[in-house]
Amino acid sequence: MGPLLEPFLANEFMLRALLAGALVSIACAIVGTFVVLRGLAFIGDALAHGVLPGIAGALLVGLPGMVGAAIGAVAMIAGVNLITRRSRLSSDTAIGLLFVAMLALGVVIVSRSSSFAGDLVGILFGQILGTSLEDLAMQAVATAVVFVVALVCARPFLLLSFDPEQADVAGFPSRRYHLVMLILVALTVIVSFQTVGTLLVFGMLLAPAGAGALLAHRIEAMMAWGAAIGIIATYVGLLVSYHFDVAAGATIVLVAAGIFFAVLAGTNVRDHLTAARRGPDAPATGPA
Amino acid sequence: MRLRIGAGLLGLAVVALLAAGCSGDGAPSGGGAAQAPGAPSVVVTYPVLGAVVADLVGDRATVTVLMPNGVDPHDWSPSAKDIERVEKADLVVANGLGLESGLDKALAEAEKRGVAVFRATDHVTLRQPSPGEAPGEAAADPHFWVDPLAMRDVVLALAPALAAVGVDVADRAPALATRLTELDAATRATLSVVPEARRLLVTGHESMGYFADRYGFRLVGTVVPGLTSQGEVAAGQLADLRAAIEAAGVKVIFTEIGTPSSVVEAIGKETGAAVVQLPSHTLPADGTYASFIGQIATAIATALR
Repeated sequence: MGPLLEPFLANEFMLRALLAGALVSIACAIVGTFVVLRGLAFIGDALAHGVLPGIAGALLVGLPGMVGAAIGAVAMIAGVNLITRRSRLSSDTAIGLLFVAMLALGVVIVSRSSSFAGDLVGILFGQILGTSLEDLAMQAVATAVVFVVALVCARPFLLLSFDPEQADVAGFPSRRYHLVMLILVALTVIVSFQTVGTLLVFGMLLAPAGAGALLAHRIEAMMAWGAAIGIIATYVGLLVSYHFDVAAGATIVLVAAGIFFAVLAGTNVRDHLTAARRGPDAPATGPA
Repeated sequence: MRLRIGAGLLGLAVVALLAAGCSGDGAPSGGGAAQAPGAPSVVVTYPVLGAVVADLVGDRATVTVLMPNGVDPHDWSPSAKDIERVEKADLVVANGLGLESGLDKALAEAEKRGVAVFRATDHVTLRQPSPGEAPGEAAADPHFWVDPLAMRDVVLALAPALAAVGVDVADRAPALATRLTELDAATRATLSVVPEARRLLVTGHESMGYFADRYGFRLVGTVVPGLTSQGEVAAGQLADLRAAIEAAGVKVIFTEIGTPSSVVEAIGKETGAAVVQLPSHTLPADGTYASFIGQIATAIATALR
């Protein structure tokens, strides 16, 4: 058991990183499940990168990066909203347009600054190994907010994910709850970028929740699986980073993606076995 | 079924962990100097500074260098093992001024917990890029290591910091300082073949400022604007650079770690300047600071004479 636990017991920074990763995993599993079910991956990606000019600008004028990230996320969501309302263009066109525009703006801001540029890597990949107690407190609050909002909005979110028209009929305006959902995605990105970076928070949003959606049918179970997989990925990723001397943040997300593909393979094998047991005449279920 | 997949996942994790565990007890990587058991441990962030620190402490402390040789410091991200080395170190020797951007949070946390951190750039006369050299607000230049006399200042300041953690180098520091003074003289001699009119430097990013100030070179411009290799090439600045190269009659463009080679080639073709590699961030094979500086001086002297 030595090499599996000892790095965590002997190093407080490893415990803090594990705890931060676990909190990120829980928030990302809750939000990510809706992202996966409602097909919001593209706007999630866009938000994860669209906050870059906000962070860069904020650091340039000496504001906390989180404030800039929030401004960037609001600009992103408002822009997508504006384009889809004022034109016949679909939302993925709007998202794609704003995505590249914001990313380009970020690079332009960075290229204008001589001192700040080095922090770009920190924004993209985070510094999970440098997690402070304040970071942990902030992450805990954000995860709690995500949890409470998801609990309160469980029914409209569920309807929105499976049957948006039904949501309107049931008295939950789909537009409003769609916005609430986007704000939750933004909140997760804004808070988590300090820990795992803007690039990697997106991986944590998709891979564990995606695996969860393959494993379970009820939404709570998907989230529980997602959270568990995210936490396992953090634990394994940190251990691999420790023993193999490789970068921590990227390893965690690689492990999460690896688990996703293992689950995909596992569920496919399961479905084939089930189909085979039913005999050759029975219709195959699940993804072919 | 669901359970079985869960067990599969767990199995996957266990296999990965066992594999991890087996490789766990390798020797610490990086340029070590001495292996005295129970010797104080000094962790240095990048190889060039590591070579000097190892030279200073001899076998009185174990020196571990975090970044591999030849890596762009801005592209480097620490492993969990690296942070453990930092947290368990008796003294961490860092450059400061944003060079270790992937490490700054972890370094601040370690400092909070009482790890002694020595930042080399706190102990040299900092150079501010003159207006027009770097865009945006002026930030101090972190690249002091290309100047042997600035390195001498660091060595003399580092000796008391080492003494504070129980590594007495009072006898070794003056000797190393003398060797660095001699290295400065040798560098001057190597560069003496370069006539005054040709003492012009165009580099990948602005990394040679201290060297230029020390040895009477003029920085004509950089390919990537600013003090880091992470800047983006801007069209206007590139046009200015081309004009500056032609106006000053620059014959050689020096490229470094992280310089976009296609841009350099293009400027070289347009202006007729030759493109020469400058090892300004990489230790040579013998791993000594003297040959690091010698290699830079020779490259510049050969290209510009």
